[in-house]
Amino acid sequence: MNFSRRLAVLALLISTALASPVLSVETETDAYTVDFSREILPILSDKCFVCHGPDVQDEDGLRLDTFVAATADRGGYRAIDPGRPKQSQILVRLHSTDEPMPPADAEKQLSPQERALLTRWVEQGGKYAQHWAFVPPIKSPPPGKPAATNGAAIDAFVLARLAERGIDFAAASERETLARRAALVLTGLPPEPEQLAAFLADDRQDAYPRYVEQLLGSERYGEHQARYWLDAVRYGDTHGLHLDNRRGIYPYRDWVVRALNRNLPLDDFITWQLAGDLLPNPTLEQLVATGFVRMNPSTAEGGAIPAEFQAKNNFDRTETLGTVLLGVSLTCARCHTHKYDPITQTEYYRLLAFFNSTAEKSMDGNAYVYGPVVKAPADQRGWQHWTQLEQARDQLLQTVQAEADAFSNLPAEAAEAWNHAASDKRLTMLAQADGPFAGWKQHQEAAELAGKIAALEATFTTTLVARDLPQPRATHVLRRGEYDLPVGTALEPGVLAAMGPFPEGAPNNRLGLARWLTSRDHPLVARVLMNRVWQRTFGYGLVRTPEDFGLQGKQPTHPQLLDWLAVELQDSGWDLKHMLRMMVTSRTFCQQSRWRSDVDDPENLLLARGPSHRLDAEVLRDVALWASGLLDPHMGGEGVKPYQPDGMWKAMAHPGSNTKQYVRDKGPLLYRRTLYVYWKRTSPHPMMTLFDAPDRESSCVRRSRTNTSLQSLGLLNETQRIEMSRALAARLLQSQQNDAERLGMVFGLLACRSPTPVERDACNSLLTSMKQRYADSEKDALALLAIGDAPRDESLDPAEHAAWTQLAVTLLASDLAIMLY
Amino acid sequence: MNRTHPIREHQLMMTRRQLFGRAALGLGTASLASLLGRDLAATDAPGSGPGGDGVPTGGALGRTHHRPKAKQVIYLFMSGGPSQHDLWDYKPKLQEKFGEQLPEHVRGGQRVTGMTANQKSGLPLAPSKYKFTRHDNHDRGVWVSELLPHTATVVKELCVVHSTFTEAINHDPAITYIQTGSQIPGRPSLGAWLSYGLGSMNENLPHYVVMHAHTSFAEQSLFNRLWGTGFMPSDHQGMLMRSQGDPVLYLSNPAGVTRDDRRAQLDALAAINQAQHARFADPEVLARIRQHEMAYRMQASVPELMDLSQETDDTFKLYGDAARTPGSFAACCLNARRLVERGVRNVQIFHHGNLPKEHESQCKDIDQGCAALIKDLKKRGMLDETLVIWGGEFGRTAYCQGGLTRENYGRDHHPRCFTTWMAGGGVKPGITYGQSDDYGYNIADADGLPLQPQPSKEAWTPGTMHIHDLNATILHLTGIDHRRLTYRYQGRDFRLTDVHGHVIDDLIA
Repeated sequence: MNFSRRLAVLALLISTALASPVLSVETETDAYTVDFSREILPILSDKCFVCHGPDVQDEDGLRLDTFVAATADRGGYRAIDPGRPKQSQILVRLHSTDEPMPPADAEKQLSPQERALLTRWVEQGGKYAQHWAFVPPIKSPPPGKPAATNGAAIDAFVLARLAERGIDFAAASERETLARRAALVLTGLPPEPEQLAAFLADDRQDAYPRYVEQLLGSERYGEHQARYWLDAVRYGDTHGLHLDNRRGIYPYRDWVVRALNRNLPLDDFITWQLAGDLLPNPTLEQLVATGFVRMNPSTAEGGAIPAEFQAKNNFDRTETLGTVLLGVSLTCARCHTHKYDPITQTEYYRLLAFFNSTAEKSMDGNAYVYGPVVKAPADQRGWQHWTQLEQARDQLLQTVQAEADAFSNLPAEAAEAWNHAASDKRLTMLAQADGPFAGWKQHQEAAELAGKIAALEATFTTTLVARDLPQPRATHVLRRGEYDLPVGTALEPGVLAAMGPFPEGAPNNRLGLARWLTSRDHPLVARVLMNRVWQRTFGYGLVRTPEDFGLQGKQPTHPQLLDWLAVELQDSGWDLKHMLRMMVTSRTFCQQSRWRSDVDDPENLLLARGPSHRLDAEVLRDVALWASGLLDPHMGGEGVKPYQPDGMWKAMAHPGSNTKQYVRDKGPLLYRRTLYVYWKRTSPHPMMTLFDAPDRESSCVRRSRTNTSLQSLGLLNETQRIEMSRALAARLLQSQQNDAERLGMVFGLLACRSPTPVERDACNSLLTSMKQRYADSEKDALALLAIGDAPRDESLDPAEHAAWTQLAVTLLASDLAIMLY
Repeated sequence: MNRTHPIREHQLMMTRRQLFGRAALGLGTASLASLLGRDLAATDAPGSGPGGDGVPTGGALGRTHHRPKAKQVIYLFMSGGPSQHDLWDYKPKLQEKFGEQLPEHVRGGQRVTGMTANQKSGLPLAPSKYKFTRHDNHDRGVWVSELLPHTATVVKELCVVHSTFTEAINHDPAITYIQTGSQIPGRPSLGAWLSYGLGSMNENLPHYVVMHAHTSFAEQSLFNRLWGTGFMPSDHQGMLMRSQGDPVLYLSNPAGVTRDDRRAQLDALAAINQAQHARFADPEVLARIRQHEMAYRMQASVPELMDLSQETDDTFKLYGDAARTPGSFAACCLNARRLVERGVRNVQIFHHGNLPKEHESQCKDIDQGCAALIKDLKKRGMLDETLVIWGGEFGRTAYCQGGLTRENYGRDHHPRCFTTWMAGGGVKPGITYGQSDDYGYNIADADGLPLQPQPSKEAWTPGTMHIHDLNATILHLTGIDHRRLTYRYQGRDFRLTDVHGHVIDDLIA
C-alpha cells in the first residue's frame, strides 16, 4: 500500500487515540491492512475470548484464538472463511440484530469502532499473527542512527514518532535541573553540593556523561535501584501471615544491593536467585541469592493444613515469577486454562513443579528461620571483609597448589582428601595444627587466616535459602486450584510453550528454568526487565501495564524501542548500568519536563517532555535525612525502626506474635536509609503506606502515586520530618552567615539551584513572621526544637532556629523537594 | 467530529482536577487512574443498568448501577469467629448429646483443622451452656443467648442469617477471604471497593474509616490488607481512626506549632508550589495545593468529630459508660454514628477476640454498643439509609476442641454454617434467614435436614449465604452491581466477588 498514505493514517490514529489500542477507521478513504496483533487481538481477547478463547470447554465450541480453529468447517459454514471472507459467519453474527455477537446480555459489548475494525479484518481475510509479546524481540536499527548503542539510539526511535506529529523534543533542561533529575533517578538522592558545583563548572563536552558515571559508581546507586526489585519480589522482614513473626532473610536484601552495585549481569542476577544452590560449587552469595525462592509469605496458624499451604506457597511463587519476569498474570491458569493468554492449566502446574520440591516445610513454625538456611555476613562491611578473606584464602591455596614436590611427599590419603575438598575445607586442612600440612610454609598463614574467618563467621546471621529435596514431591494439576483435588498423573516440571522451548540439555530443575528465562530466544524476560528499568527512569513504562504484557495488556508506546532495548540488554552481556547510562544520557531524558502547550499528550505517551512525578516514599525520607546531615551511610543489616506512632503494631497483632511491640531504635539507626526500615508485612511503616509503598505480601511492579490530604499531614507533622527539619535548620545556621546565604544553600540542596525572587519572598515572609512569633514565645520554640532524639545545638538562638525549622519543614514538604522534574 | 476524543476528555478532567482537587470528584480519580496507565472500571455507561435509576457518585462509577438503598455502611467485624452456638443458633437437642461424638454423617467429609484432626477425644459434642430466649421479630421469632441481652432488644430491626458459609478454616485466610474476596493477600478490600466505586460524600473527611476496638482479650491478628487496596491506587485504603495518640495519623501539629503557624506555613507552601507550577505546568502540583488545604480543614473537622462533649447523657446511657472510654467498642460505635452523620461512606470496626474462651467478656465488650448503634441510628432517622453488618470470618464447631465439661469447652473453626446479621440500609427488618441442622453444623432445609448437595459458591442455593453472596448483597444495597464494579489488573477485570456471588433478594426490603 501507499506508504505516505499509511503514514498519514498512522499519524491520524495516533493523534486521536493515543490512550487506546482501539483505533478508529471511520475516516479511512481506502483500505489499509489491519494490524492483527495490535488492533484485532486486543478486541478478541477482551470481548470474545471469555467464551471463544483457549479455555473453551465444549469440544464443539468455537475458538477464535487460532486461525485453524476460526477457519474450520463447522458444517457448511466457517466463522472466518478466508476463501470467501464476506461469507464468514462471524460477519453475520457481528451485525445481526436477532442473534448478535457478543450476545445482548454479555457483560462486554463491542463499540461501533471495534465492530468496524473486526469487519474490516475479516473482509481482508481474517489473517492471524502471534501476539507481539510472545514473538522474540528483533533489533531494528534505530531510524537514522543504525549503529548507535548510546542514548542517540533511544532518541532516534522517540524522534521518529515525534516527527510523525511534526514536533521535536522539548528544549534541554537547565543543567541544574538535569543534575538533580539524574541523581535522583540513579541514586535516589540529590547530588552532593561539591559534586553539583563541579559538574556545573565542568565545560568539557562530556561533562554530563562523566557526571552520570560518578552516579553509577556511587554505592547509593545499588541501594536505590534495589528497592524496585524488592517491591517486585515482595521482600519483607516478617513472614506475612497470621502471627507475622520475624523472618531471617535480610542478607538477601543486602545481596541485591551488592549485586546491583557490582553490576552483576542481569542473567546471572536472575539465575543466582532462582537456582544459585544448583550451580556447581555455589558461593555463599549464590546461596544467599536464593532467598528469592523463599520470599513467599508463610504461616504457622494453629489448625492450618500443611498440604493446603504447600499449594498456596507454590501458587504465590509461580505467580510472582509470572509477574516479575514474564510480565503476565498466571493466576487464571491456576483454576482453568487461561482465558486470554495461551497458557494451559497443565502448563501452570508444570511451571509450579519447579518450586514444589524445595526442602522447607510448608509452614514456618513461627520461627525466625525454617527449612534450609545459611550463615552469612550481617551487613555490607561484613560482606566486604568476607570477600577480602576469601580472596586471601584463594590466593594462599593457589600457592599451595603450586607446590608439586611437596604434594608428592604427602600421604596418599591426605592428597586424596585435598583433591576432593572445597576451598574452605582445604584451608582447614592446611591450618590443622597436627595435620599433614603442619610442616608446610603456608601453614602459619593458613592458621591465621582460618582464625580470622572463624572470627568473622561468628558474627554471621542466618538467612533462608532454597534447596531441593532429594526426592521431588509429586505435582498434579489441581482441579479449580483446590489443594485437595489433584487430578491426572504426576507432572514433570516444564515451561510455557508460548514463550519458547526449554533449552536443550538444560537440567529439568530451577537451574534449567533460569536458563530458559535468560535464553536469547525468550520473548519476554528482557522486554519485561527493560520496561521496568524504563519505568523507574522515566516514570512510566513503554508498556504502561508492566505487570501485563499479555493480550489484555497495553501495547508498547514505542514497540521497536522496547525491542531494541531488550536485545541491546542481551548484546551488552545483560549490563544494567550500560542500559541506564544510555537512558539517562538520551535527549529524551534530558529534555525539559515542562508540560507543553503545543503537545496534546497529558500522559506523555509520545515522550515529548522529560519525566515529572512525585518521588517515592523512601526517597522523600532519604532526601530529608541527607539534606539535614543526619543520614547514616552504614549499609546493610537487620531492618531498623525509626519513629512510629505508638501502638500501631500492638493494636493489630496477635498476642503471641513477636512483632507486636514496636520498639523504636535509638542513635544512628534512626537515620539509616529508608531501604533498611523494618518491613512488617501486615503493617509496614505508616509513612511508607501513606506514600503508596506496597505491603510486600504480593508482588508489586508498579506503585500507585496518589495525592492525598493525609500525605500533607505526614509531611508536615511526622516526628522525623520535624527532627530532620530542625537538623537542616541547624546546618544552615551553622554553616552560613546570613539568611540569604542560608536560603541559597537550602535551595541548592533541594532544588540544585538558587531561589527565584518569588520563592525568596515567600520564604522570607514566613521566616520573618516565625522569628517574631518564636521570639515572643521561647517556650514554643524549645518545644518544637525538642522533637526527635538528635541533640539541639544550644549555641543557636532558639527563636532563629525554630523559625528556620518551620521554613525547612515547609520546603521539605514542597514540590521543590518531593517531586522529580 | 462527533466522536468522543479521549485526550480532550482527559484534559477536561485534568482541568477540573485543577479546579477541584481529586478527593471529592470521581473525575479526578478517573484521570489519575488513567495517568497511571490503569484501565478504569469496565463498567457500562453510567446508570445504564436495568431500571437506569442510578444516582451520581463521587467515585469511579459516575452513577450507581441502580438506586441505592443504603448510602452508608457500618460493618461491625467480629474477628476471630464468634460462636453461633453460644450466641444465635439455638440447638436444644444437642443438650442430650453432651460428650457424644459428632456423627460421621453430619460431618459429611468436612475437613477438620489441624487443631482437632488428631485430638484423642475425637470430636465430642459440646452443647452451649448459655440460656437462650426466644424474641419476637417480624417473622418466626429469633432465639438469642443470654450473652447478648442488649442486642436481643433490637432483633425487630435485624435480619439474622443463620446460613452464612465460607471455605476457609483458618483465621488469616478466612478473614482475608471475607474482606477481599480471596484467601491469598493482594486484592482490594470491601471498603476499598466501596471507596473506589462511590467516592466520598464529605470532602473534609475520608471515604472509608477503620477503627480497632479495644478488646478484653486480644487473641487474633489484624492485617493492613483487610482495609487495604491491593492493586488499586492506595488512596482507597481505609483510614485508621485511632484511640491512642492522634485519631488520624499525624493530625496534630507538632509541639510549639499553632494553627496560625500552620496557616503561615501553608501560605508559603502554596506560593512555592505555585512557582513550581509556573515552571513545570504539571497539574499534579495544583492538586497537591488543594490536598494541603484539605488537610488543614481536617485538622479542625476531626477534633470536632472526636469531641463527644456535645453528646447527651441519654446517648451515653444508650451506649453505656464504656462509650466514655476512647477505643472501647461502644465508643467506636458512637464514633461510627458521628462519622456517618457527617457523610463518611463506610465505617468498619474491628473487634478481635479470643473466641470462645473469653466469650462472656467479649460479648460484654460488644453487646451494648451494637444495640445502641441500631437504636441511635433509628432514632435519628438514619437507619433506613445506613446498612449495619455484624459478623465474623467463620463460625465455631458443635464439637469441642480441648477439654470438655458442661461449663468449660472450646470450639474449633467452622466454615460450613455460621450466623451474621444485617440491619437498616434496605434489608428486611426482623427476619431470620436460613437454618442449620440439629447440630448447628450444616445448613439445613426447613425441616432441619442438611441440604443436599452441600451448598457451594459455584451456584447459589436458596436459603444460604456464601460470603461472596454477602458481599454481593452489600454492594447491591449500596447501588452497585457486584458483577459490574471491576478494576483491571494484569489484564483481568477483577471484582470483589471474583466469579461468584449472588444478591439475596429475600433479604432486601
